[in-house]
Amino acid sequence: MDALAQYAPILLPIVIIQLILLIVSIIDLVRIEKTNGPKWLWAIIILFVNIIGPILYFVIGRRNN
Amino acid sequence: MIQWMTLLQKELLEMWRNFKWIWMPISFILIGVQKPITTYYMPQIIDSLGGLPEGAVLKIPTPTAREVIMQGLGEYTSLGALIIVLSTMGIIAAERKSGVAAMILVKPVSFTSFVTSKWAGGVLLMWLSFFIGCLTTWYYTGLLFDWVPFGEFLQAYFFYALWFTFILTVSVFFSSMLRTSGTAGFISLAVVIIVSIVSSTLSRWLEWSPAQLTSYANEILLDKGVSEYLLPAGLLAGVCIIILLALSVMIFRKKELAA
Repeated sequence: MDALAQYAPILLPIVIIQLILLIVSIIDLVRIEKTNGPKWLWAIIILFVNIIGPILYFVIGRRNN
Repeated sequence: MIQWMTLLQKELLEMWRNFKWIWMPISFILIGVQKPITTYYMPQIIDSLGGLPEGAVLKIPTPTAREVIMQGLGEYTSLGALIIVLSTMGIIAAERKSGVAAMILVKPVSFTSFVTSKWAGGVLLMWLSFFIGCLTTWYYTGLLFDWVPFGEFLQAYFFYALWFTFILTVSVFFSSMLRTSGTAGFISLAVVIIVSIVSSTLSRWLEWSPAQLTSYANEILLDKGVSEYLLPAGLLAGVCIIILLALSVMIFRKKELAA
């Protein structure tokens, strides 16, 4: 517990930033009409592929035709 | 000029709707923060992976703050370049494919202002998000190691950003030349990789190559002084950017008139 308290001020901002990325991409995935490829696959990628998943979704997944 | 500003505003708004203003800075922050933190916690990381065998003595010299910040910025040359190309490869190709380009060019908008406003939007986004990312690298290095003078950091940032502007312009150029954004991204990445590999292997003859800007920036960071080739390399990068931009306007005009 002590160790955790020691690392928290350094690691917490990064965790928060990562969460923001995850939440924004999930909200967008829910609201978007159609994605490039199946929607459930993108949900899995965003949730389970750390950091790169949401970025990949923004670059490739949401192509608005 | 008013028209150009409107186009730029439209471009910035579109980037906001594509969430580029969110994911670009965040991914730059996450790239930049990795190096200082993993370097600082290296002993703990080795411990948690099972530790060293009994009796083994592994001496890892603690790097100086300047070395850490240099390595941190070095991460951007590979991953950052990839992100820049990914975010700009469709900047013109996708608009042409979806027909938005044709819709805008029906109005009395010149091809030059169409392409340059898109380029300026991309540059603005890249410089800002790269600055945020670099700032976190600098801040974490200062927090965990030692503070590097902000002025030197800013100089290094500027030359890194100049090299990235070159990458971005290459990406815009291929985006205006090719129909699909995927191939544009692939070819611009290939070009950038070839340019940096050639100029790092032949670094003795190609001192003025824009790809060398990052190593001169590293020299500034390591307090080795400013290289005499920094100015030619920077000027050449600027000239290349202008030429590529002019060429992409020309090619885009030709293609749109033919279509």
